[in-house]
Amino acid sequence: MALVKAPRSAFINFPLGRQCGRPHDTDLQIRILKDALNILVTATIPGEIIDLPYEWDEPFDWAKYLQDMQEMLEEEGSSVQEWKAK
Amino acid sequence: MTRIDYVSGLNEMYQSQGFPPYRWSEFDSSPWTPFEKLLDQTCLALLSSAGIFRDDQEPFDPWAVNDLSFRQIPADTLFERLKLHHNYFDHRDALKDLNCVFPVHRLKDLEKTGHIGHLAQTAITLGMGRLYKRTALQQETVPRIVELLKGQGTDAVLLVAA
Repeated sequence: MALVKAPRSAFINFPLGRQCGRPHDTDLQIRILKDALNILVTATIPGEIIDLPYEWDEPFDWAKYLQDMQEMLEEEGSSVQEWKAK
Repeated sequence: MTRIDYVSGLNEMYQSQGFPPYRWSEFDSSPWTPFEKLLDQTCLALLSSAGIFRDDQEPFDPWAVNDLSFRQIPADTLFERLKLHHNYFDHRDALKDLNCVFPVHRLKDLEKTGHIGHLAQTAITLGMGRLYKRTALQQETVPRIVELLKGQGTDAVLLVAA
C-alpha cells in the first residue's frame, strides 16, 4: 500500500476480511468508518497512510492466515486451485 | 500485534503454486486533489474488491485470475440477494455480516445521522486477485468505473480492498 501511494489511505491491523470490523459489531464498524472517512477531510500529505487505533482481540499472523484459509476451504469443500493461464 | 507482511507471504505462496512472479504496483508520486466539501455534504460511493455480486448477476470466480470485470450493486439491494465469491481471504466473517468488507448498512447509518451527505446509489464491486494485466485495468476498467461514479454525482470513493 505504501508503494502504491493512494492519495488517502487508512490501515487497520485486523486480519484480512474484517477491514470494517467484526461481524455484527455495529458500534465498532461505525467507529472505524468514521475514522477512515475523517481522513478524507483532514489528510494533508499525499500518499500518507493513517494507522487506525484498533486492536484485534486475538493473535494472528501469517501462519494463522494460512491455517484459516485451509479451514475455510475444508469447511466449504473446496481446495486450493493451481495456476491456470488465461 | 505485529503486522502481517502479506506481500512477502503471498509472493512466496503464489510462486510455490506455479504463478509467475507478481509485480506489485509502485508509483513515485501520489495524485492529489484537495477535498473542499464537508463530509456531511459529500456523496460517497462504495467500491469493494471482495468478489460480491447480486444473485442475478454473473458470479465472480472465487479463484479469479486476470478478471477485469466489475458489478454494479444498487445500495438498497437486500443482503440476502448478495453473494461473495473470493477465496484469497478468509471470508467466513464476511458471510456472517457483509458489512465486514462491504459496509453498506453502516454507510446508510452514517447517512441517516447526517455524518455523510449521502451514499451513492450504486456501489461497485470487483473480484480481483492475481491480476497480471494492470494496463488493461487502468485503461479499460477504471475509466468505466469513474464514468459511472461521476454519472451519479459522486464526490468521493471509499475503497474497501479485500
